[in-house]
Amino acid sequence: MAKSVKFKQELVDRDTILSVRHLKQFFTVGVGKNKFRTKAVHDISFDIQRGEVFGLVGESGCGKTTTGRSIIRLYDITSGSVYFKGHRITAGDRWNRKEIKFSTLRTQRAIKDLKQKMKDDIQDARSEKQENNDEIIAKIKKQYDDQIKALTSELQTLIKVQKEKIRQIAYDNKHIDPALLSKIQMIFQDPVDSLDPRMTVEDIIQEGLMIQGQRNKKENSQKVVEVLNQVGLIPEYASRYPHEFSGGQRQRIGIARAIIMNPELLICDEPISALDVSIRAQIINLLNDLKEQYKLTILFIAHDLSVVKYFCDRIAVMYYGEIVELTTSEELFKHPLHPYTKALLSAIPKPDPITERNRTRIPYNPMTDHDYSKEKPTLQEIRPGHFVLANSAEIKKYNAEIKAIDAK
Amino acid sequence: MKKEEVVISAKDLKLSFYTDKGRVKALRGVSFDLYKGEVLCIVGESGSGKSVTAKMIMGILPGNARIDGGSIYYQNEDLTKVSEEEFHNIRGKKIGLIFQDPLSSLNPIMRIGKQITEALIINGDKVKRLYKDLISPALIKYKNAIQLRNLELDRLRSEFLDSRFEIRNNPDIKFVDGTKQIQALRKQLRVDLKKVMDDTKGNIAALKKVLDEKKVFAQKEAQAFKQSLVNAYKEKIAPLQAQLKTASEGQKKEIQAQLDAEKLAFTNSLRLTPAEAKRRAIKVMEEVGIPNATRRFRQYPFEFSGGMRQRIVIAIALTQDPDVLILDEPTTALDVTIQAQILDLVKKLQKDRQLSAIFITHDLGVVANMADRIAVMYAGKIVEYGKAEEIFYNPQHPYTWALLSSIPDIDSKERLESIPGTPPNMIYPPKGDAFAERSKYAMAIDFKEEPPYFQLSETHFAATWLLDPRSPKAELPKIVSERIKNSLKKAGKVHG
Repeated sequence: MAKSVKFKQELVDRDTILSVRHLKQFFTVGVGKNKFRTKAVHDISFDIQRGEVFGLVGESGCGKTTTGRSIIRLYDITSGSVYFKGHRITAGDRWNRKEIKFSTLRTQRAIKDLKQKMKDDIQDARSEKQENNDEIIAKIKKQYDDQIKALTSELQTLIKVQKEKIRQIAYDNKHIDPALLSKIQMIFQDPVDSLDPRMTVEDIIQEGLMIQGQRNKKENSQKVVEVLNQVGLIPEYASRYPHEFSGGQRQRIGIARAIIMNPELLICDEPISALDVSIRAQIINLLNDLKEQYKLTILFIAHDLSVVKYFCDRIAVMYYGEIVELTTSEELFKHPLHPYTKALLSAIPKPDPITERNRTRIPYNPMTDHDYSKEKPTLQEIRPGHFVLANSAEIKKYNAEIKAIDAK
Repeated sequence: MKKEEVVISAKDLKLSFYTDKGRVKALRGVSFDLYKGEVLCIVGESGSGKSVTAKMIMGILPGNARIDGGSIYYQNEDLTKVSEEEFHNIRGKKIGLIFQDPLSSLNPIMRIGKQITEALIINGDKVKRLYKDLISPALIKYKNAIQLRNLELDRLRSEFLDSRFEIRNNPDIKFVDGTKQIQALRKQLRVDLKKVMDDTKGNIAALKKVLDEKKVFAQKEAQAFKQSLVNAYKEKIAPLQAQLKTASEGQKKEIQAQLDAEKLAFTNSLRLTPAEAKRRAIKVMEEVGIPNATRRFRQYPFEFSGGMRQRIVIAIALTQDPDVLILDEPTTALDVTIQAQILDLVKKLQKDRQLSAIFITHDLGVVANMADRIAVMYAGKIVEYGKAEEIFYNPQHPYTWALLSSIPDIDSKERLESIPGTPPNMIYPPKGDAFAERSKYAMAIDFKEEPPYFQLSETHFAATWLLDPRSPKAELPKIVSERIKNSLKKAGKVHG
């Protein structure tokens, strides 16, 4: 069977560079009776358009870093798929396996019920003792047999389809084009731990090129010099080792290493959290310049909302593995709807003593803020481009809130 | 306006670290006052010397640090000249310190409860306490004398090291000549050291004698105290025990209970029992907002989240009932929401307990939230010092401007004005204004001469030549001036 990696033309048509669909990432922790499963990321979906900066915000442990790492295939994802430029780059088959398992169970139960019903019907027919009893019984039997057959064949086609999908997922995960994957690059949080202390800066920066098979030393050195200039370091630094640099310079080396691969999508995992205040602005400005120059699309992961607001076009707020609100950054700050978003916004420290003193913080308590006993929440589009995790009762409430804010 | 009481007064602190590469001048004349019930925030980049200041106040400097000058007055005593013995009575008990990383300041294999009650129980033995209190004046005098002598010796040694450094780095002096000069200096140093030793010998010996006498006396006194307690206890229980022998079955239980109560009271009067310590610890844990304190008392640090760990560290500091709390970047390792909770907690405690606090951070948002007074530090110096409103709404030093303009604002998308370059190498601190190299407002004089402190109001000082009447007028960066205008407008609305 001739095969190829799953490709979605409509994503290319819409100029969606990255599409995350129902991504789930579970981790199994512990052994024996202590074994349990952590649902680090639980069913999130979002699209990133070419050229935009997409922010992922949340407190530590909410799964934002895991999302970034799953996209770049540092983990094998549990379920869902990720499309980059229309090509599926990673997928998990847990959902499909569950689908097979539960459909089988469902069908078996249905068949059991049908058989019981058939028995009852036959019993009834017998007890009536009509002349053409045998005929009626045969008719009933045939009627039920048909139904059972239909169910079984339905199940079989479903299993066939799902098995095909699972095979496709396995195939996709194995046969991804490395050149395509190298167009996604990542910048890590800790500028100390993410650079190998025993490699020179030049080796660190050109390592990606070497892995991609570009072994021409002269050309590579030339490229290293170029990117060093672009990230604001002098070419003489190429022969030095990471420990000779300050935090901000190390982060620049990390950026140079990503930029040399000529990426289209850059995943920045808290690139400025570990840096000093004055250096932060330098790095943000640098990322801004590079974005313009290389026409980069950026997935920006951070917990500092003021930086995210400054830097990002759209923001997704995550809480315990789920996206609770997703919208443009202006809209998020103008109409924050989900209580967690409000809590997060109320906690941003501002360099302004008078506002700080009059500030009231909004605490978030998921147990009391939501009543999901009757209806489970889903991510719903409340206004064009503004998604919020809510059930229908809450949607009504949020609509009223938007009106109230606009009326002011 | 009533006059504020100064709790800690630091004057012209100078400190350097001796490293392989040379002498790092970490503090180059830092002065500030901490007023009672106020929060003083020290802001600056890493390496500006803010943590070193905290460590100097607490007397926990690393071995290669040398105090070159200055004084820290706390309760009429200079903390830079105090001996280790006396510091035991101050560190932790009167001045509490909270570090940045709550995980590394807690023992991972010790239950939380034990860590909180540890200090309580160590200080809880009343007989020992009495003994220590009795000998402490003599002991402190003796140790202080030794400390003063050692400081003098250290001063002589570092003077020698400095002049050697100067000779070696002077291109006009030939190497051979330099060696000769150094040898002469070394000889002189030996003589000087010996002289200091001889001069102080008699005094120290006398103090030692006094101390020894005091020790014998205190020993007796403590024994007597213990004996009196034991006697009182025995007197109390003797009749009860006599009754116990003759009493009926029903009464026996009652008397036994009385006996137990007496015993408990006796042990409590002798020392702080673990049960009592636990009761107090749980009270403090509830005060800092740890839910289920009784259950969590028996857990290990790894079972707590980052915010909870920081609460525990604060609880440990509070058990000793300090007057002053020094917080060294307590929220840098925490999330925004957790950070907000911890800041609220510190504020509440500070209000309830009338604490004065020194808060060290590099986050200006946190500063705006916490500070009454702010000291902006750069390259081992305070470049601007004033009340919070003065620093945020009327900043004067270019470094303060740079700090304010380098943080992104929620309300604008203007390009950030980052500070170019990196902080200077403090082995060779720049001449003149240390920030001149990175400042676009730098004038020729900034590279030559150090600016003095210009006084702007009763409480507001800034060290920059821009305030000199002869200098040209410099404009605030636009991003900062806009923000100040906006927030003052908003504030006007709030107050009506």
